[in-house]
Amino acid sequence: MKRVDLKIVLLGKEYGGKTSLLERYLYDHFHGDLPYQNTIGAAFGAKKIQLDDKQITMGIWDTAGSERYEAMSKIYYRGAKAAIVCYDLTDSSSFERVKFWVDELKKFEEDCMIYLCGTKKDLVQEDRQCRKIDYHTTTDYADEIGANLFETSSKTGECVRELFTQIAMDFVNKYVPSSKEKNEDLILESPGKKSTFCCSS
Amino acid sequence: MATASCKSLEDSETARESEEETEIPKDFEPGASSESILISIDLYEEVENSPGSVYEDVSYRRRKSTICELERSAGKRVLAEEQVETSKSFDDKSQDGQLKAEIGHDESIRIKNSPNVEPIRIEMESIQMSSDEEKHEIIETAEDIHNPEWKQHSKHIFILSEAGKPIYSRFGSEDKLVTLMGVMQALVSIVQDNGDVIRSIHAGDHKFVFLVRLPLILVAVANTNASAPQLVVQLNCVYNLILSVLTSTQLCSIFEQRRNYDLRRLLGGAEKFLDNLVDTMDSDPSFLLVAVRCLPLTSAIRDTISQSIVQYCSKVKNVVFAILVAKNQLVTIVRMKKYSLHPSDLHLVMNLVNSSDSFKAAESWTPICLPKFDSSGFLHAHVSYLDDNCPACLLLLTVDKNLFFTLQECRRKIVERLHRYNCLEAINASLESEGYSVSEVGLPDLRHFIYKSKSAAQFTEPRLEAPYVSNEDQSNLFGLYQYLHHRMYNSARPLKILFYVGQKEIMLSWHMAGFELYAAFEPMVTKFTAVNTMNKLVRWIKKEEDRLFIMNAPTI
Repeated sequence: MKRVDLKIVLLGKEYGGKTSLLERYLYDHFHGDLPYQNTIGAAFGAKKIQLDDKQITMGIWDTAGSERYEAMSKIYYRGAKAAIVCYDLTDSSSFERVKFWVDELKKFEEDCMIYLCGTKKDLVQEDRQCRKIDYHTTTDYADEIGANLFETSSKTGECVRELFTQIAMDFVNKYVPSSKEKNEDLILESPGKKSTFCCSS
Repeated sequence: MATASCKSLEDSETARESEEETEIPKDFEPGASSESILISIDLYEEVENSPGSVYEDVSYRRRKSTICELERSAGKRVLAEEQVETSKSFDDKSQDGQLKAEIGHDESIRIKNSPNVEPIRIEMESIQMSSDEEKHEIIETAEDIHNPEWKQHSKHIFILSEAGKPIYSRFGSEDKLVTLMGVMQALVSIVQDNGDVIRSIHAGDHKFVFLVRLPLILVAVANTNASAPQLVVQLNCVYNLILSVLTSTQLCSIFEQRRNYDLRRLLGGAEKFLDNLVDTMDSDPSFLLVAVRCLPLTSAIRDTISQSIVQYCSKVKNVVFAILVAKNQLVTIVRMKKYSLHPSDLHLVMNLVNSSDSFKAAESWTPICLPKFDSSGFLHAHVSYLDDNCPACLLLLTVDKNLFFTLQECRRKIVERLHRYNCLEAINASLESEGYSVSEVGLPDLRHFIYKSKSAAQFTEPRLEAPYVSNEDQSNLFGLYQYLHHRMYNSARPLKILFYVGQKEIMLSWHMAGFELYAAFEPMVTKFTAVNTMNKLVRWIKKEEDRLFIMNAPTI
């Protein structure tokens, strides 16, 4: 029996730092010295998080940014309660992709909470010239679509934990009532029912 | 064609030679079992039977899609949404397209695609001139056509679209090779205008080999030992890799909508699969033989592994194949009854695992198309390494895209059971010993060999040892194997036994009904000794077959 309470999906342009973000969060490491490895399909990771009196298991899907997987991305974001849409602070085109993903989510996954995440903050802190995406443009956009905004560095770990904790807390506030009546729905028990679970909620 | 004539020759004079000196029965085949895990295929059959364009392939698959069949049998009415969409858009298009192709069955497809074209020989002056002319103009730092280093590479592989747009080049940047690719496209279309198909151009040591698989054109330029037909086989593998990433349905609809599409956008991140495949083919006999290398394991261990997979996968509906590979070697395959895996599909799976470290970090859920199984759609693969300390990678392939968590659980139980029976240690031990030494065979004049069981589509070879230590020596040896293989399969004069005196070694190859054997001997060995040694070698392989080959074909 596999329990995932909170399905989170990472989306965004390739080389946008999704895998590094997840690895920093799950294993607390960062491989700056290794050559870039693009994700194939999607990788899955799970982590338990303790919030006051509640424990939640997060199932996090790290999707491939390559364009050819876009047609299949539904497999990964369907039924997600939260989406982290990543963009590379040093790559202006990556923010264009953010809009694509946000539109896609608004269209097909209305209930999914959206978190914008600017990555590689350490690079822009080192050298201001590196920043290709204006901070206020992103905050304006986040307000417009009703999303939370984070700027993270997987290298230093800045804001990474905060991001996931925020997601977990928002999830608890939104979906977990203080009485435990609805909890049953969130348990993934029998294999065949997964899709029904995703669609019905 | 080559294979047919090869078989007919078995009874003729060359066959006599082997009978005189051996008592090996005609159908002797170490490594063969009653039921094979893989589809057995002769070398050039694959290329000859492949459709010449993806459009034909798609129209064929629309009638006969294995994935649809599986989905139907699983009682699923609704197809994957993506598939419906793409095939719908194709439906509309194919109505007025040229390729209505009223092909009733396989046969006519084959006829259509193998026009009786004699290979053309063209002197390559024109191309060389054009590159010489511009030579003095600019010297670029990046590798491009003007760069001497770029020219030094012994094998180039290019992929371009029908419209001449660059898609891939093994070396250099495609953008800088636009003009070169334009020339290639022109060559293809000039010959096409005459109702012919260009196959190859031979210029000195260089072979320019073309494979037209519309909407793609694949070109190999090589001065290696690989023969033109062998290079075609390699190009076909590359083409299959593109299909495995995109599916024929997608490839077809993209170019139908936009003939000028830049396919590199969709192949983003797949370059390393291509690079790895193209590199591997220069040293790995798998592709030459259309066979798979197995990890040597005692049959007891291998059976335990297979049984563990069967035990848990049989409880999950819709698992089509469960494949366990370790460092480019096959540990086992468990398959759904009725369905077999084609060796070249398995090569693509292994290539996928080898080209990327990203599977090591976390379990993945990825779409993959196996072109020989069904080029029209994706299977979904749960990919995970068994353990941090074991480089064996388990792939569970299914038609159901919602099965991830079920397979995750299934995989957990499999790994648990493998741990319990110490299978991981056995796999590691076999990997660490790097196969076996040729000295274990106990035949002093024998340096190295490659043996393929035809019906099993599996091969075995000892590890490369002295004198084949340096990369250069190793690739020379592989070149000799390529040469032998080419001579044996020469369609004009297929051979049964070939004794070849090389510069540093003596080579012998031997084809029987059931097997292919290629071997390298000490340079002073006599023909008589060499042939005798081959006989003993085959008997040794027979003795060891349980360990060297996968003899059981477990199903779920």
